[in-house]
Amino acid sequence: MTVDYIKKCCLAACVLFAFAMPLFVHSPTYLHISIMLLLFAYMTTSWNLVGGFAGVLPLGHSVFVGIGAYTSTVLWLQYSISPWIGMLIGGVVSGIVGYLIGKPTLKMRGAYFALSTMAFVEGVRVVVENLSYIGPFKLNGPRGLNIPPIPAGENSFFAFQFAHKEPYYYIILIMLIAVLALTWYVSRSKMGYSLIAGGEEPEAAEALGINVTRYKVQAMVMSAFLTSLAGTFLAQLTLFIYPKSVLTLDLSFELAFIALIGGRGSIAGPVVGALLLRPVSEFSRIYLSDSLPGMHLILFGAILIVVMLLQPSGLTAPLTKKFNAIVEKIANRKTKPRGVSDEHA
Amino acid sequence: MDFAFLLQDIISGILMGSIYGLIALGLTLVFGVLKVINFAHGSFLMVGMYASYWAVSLTGLHPYVALCIVVPVMFYFGYFLQNFLIKPIFVAEKDVREPTTVIIVTTGVWYMLDNMALLIFGPGYRALTPNPLKGQMLEFGDIFISVPKLYGFLIAIATALLLYLFLQKTRTGRAIRATSLDRDAASLMGINQWKIFNIAFGIGTAIAGISGVVLTPFYNVYPTVGVPFDVKSFVIVVLGGLGSIPGAIIGGIIIGLIESVGPVYMTSTWTEAIVYMLFLLVLFVKPSGLFGQKYDW
Repeated sequence: MTVDYIKKCCLAACVLFAFAMPLFVHSPTYLHISIMLLLFAYMTTSWNLVGGFAGVLPLGHSVFVGIGAYTSTVLWLQYSISPWIGMLIGGVVSGIVGYLIGKPTLKMRGAYFALSTMAFVEGVRVVVENLSYIGPFKLNGPRGLNIPPIPAGENSFFAFQFAHKEPYYYIILIMLIAVLALTWYVSRSKMGYSLIAGGEEPEAAEALGINVTRYKVQAMVMSAFLTSLAGTFLAQLTLFIYPKSVLTLDLSFELAFIALIGGRGSIAGPVVGALLLRPVSEFSRIYLSDSLPGMHLILFGAILIVVMLLQPSGLTAPLTKKFNAIVEKIANRKTKPRGVSDEHA
Repeated sequence: MDFAFLLQDIISGILMGSIYGLIALGLTLVFGVLKVINFAHGSFLMVGMYASYWAVSLTGLHPYVALCIVVPVMFYFGYFLQNFLIKPIFVAEKDVREPTTVIIVTTGVWYMLDNMALLIFGPGYRALTPNPLKGQMLEFGDIFISVPKLYGFLIAIATALLLYLFLQKTRTGRAIRATSLDRDAASLMGINQWKIFNIAFGIGTAIAGISGVVLTPFYNVYPTVGVPFDVKSFVIVVLGGLGSIPGAIIGGIIIGLIESVGPVYMTSTWTEAIVYMLFLLVLFVKPSGLFGQKYDW
């Protein structure tokens, strides 16, 4: 048993557990919490493509969530185009917007980039809140859009609506696994190495002939496309969207928080961050929001400060270290009695 | 008559804009010295407003006498906050060029302060109760000038001048300027850069406190009052040039003018969009802002 083998087994066990979870958890509340956890892990992993690897701090990803949510919803309500197709169209629109906003801003220093993405979200929110229509598309201003539910108890794959929570769970789980695989692939590609180099030492990377900005823009477009898909999912899950639910700075900040607490630039970071933070916010919202309003955000802020003070690179690094130590211990214990070490096997 | 209306809007725009500029002044100072965007600045403003609200409500002092209490309290609040929360990260990230972790810590402080205010004081809007300035107006023919805003304008200009003189004339001020230009060289010259960071952060926080005192007589106090001002001050400091004192005041006045003259020509919600568009435009065309320096940091 090699270290690698044990790690693969652990990964397989995690995936298996994730797929089997709805078989023994039937409570809609817990399923909903799990769905939200996976959704945030998905969005943060998409954020991580540009925010983690490229070493910049985008604080405007809720724009892409909003574009995804609004595009698919408008297409479904006005033209009866399936949200599945709307999801892809929204992704393409987001990708284009990501290119247009990334091209000029990604050349800027970190602080300016963070501020301009923030201003972008606020600007888009103000515009959407003030528009009833963009051309023929009805946005309904601050009142938002309602997606009429299909008859109760029915499932419709075409309408992206299901009677129970389980299908949503599996959809977002598969989306998360896909985006994690993509991140893994990117991190081992030329693009990934260029992004990391450009994020850490931009001058040195430029000197080596890497067009840092071009790779950053590519990452931004990918990230925008993927984040946008989550927007459609969110719209179909809640069946109601309005500017303050999908186009807020709060959402953008939460993605950055999750990534930073988990560990930006690592593949598992966003998942670890979501696992740690989403339950905090969900449970404190359920149990504390009546008696102690704002408590979950105080906890959020406190966790953020403590983690940043004690472990600025996020919690994934120490956890991985611990995990590796345990795996190695197991591997050694299994091999030693036979007197064969890894090198000779 | 029409011209009088316009003049009225221009004057109120300048008055309100100078107060925006005052808020941005604290942000720009902290940025200039620490190279950190303090996301908690709006929350400091909120703390300043609550402090001034309680100082006046409990003791019945004149609203501006509250400055004597709020300014030192806020100064030390900022001083120790920088010393215990932000300095450790600076030490840990010494060779990181763009300290994004610090931005995130200030965001954590923002979330904590705003929601602690919500927890302690509740979500309600509070207006200053013994308020001798309430609704006072100066009348010049057709033009009315709000007295608390006029005082705000005067205090903003006075604060900017005092800060300017402090930075130019005093030893500490010169040390602050030296640190903002090159912190390593300043350290080699015997300046304790951590102390300078503390002082600069303290002054920035104290200025947020002054803005709070100035705003309280004519603005409601509530837990998230800082957020719109926070975003507005980011726009202002980028517009005026990060780290520039005249840039902050003039940038503030520009934003104030857009907000107050804009609604004459369009619905008032669109002026907010114009502010953000202007912000993005300035970033694209001249990222160093109107008065920004070209120093590489």
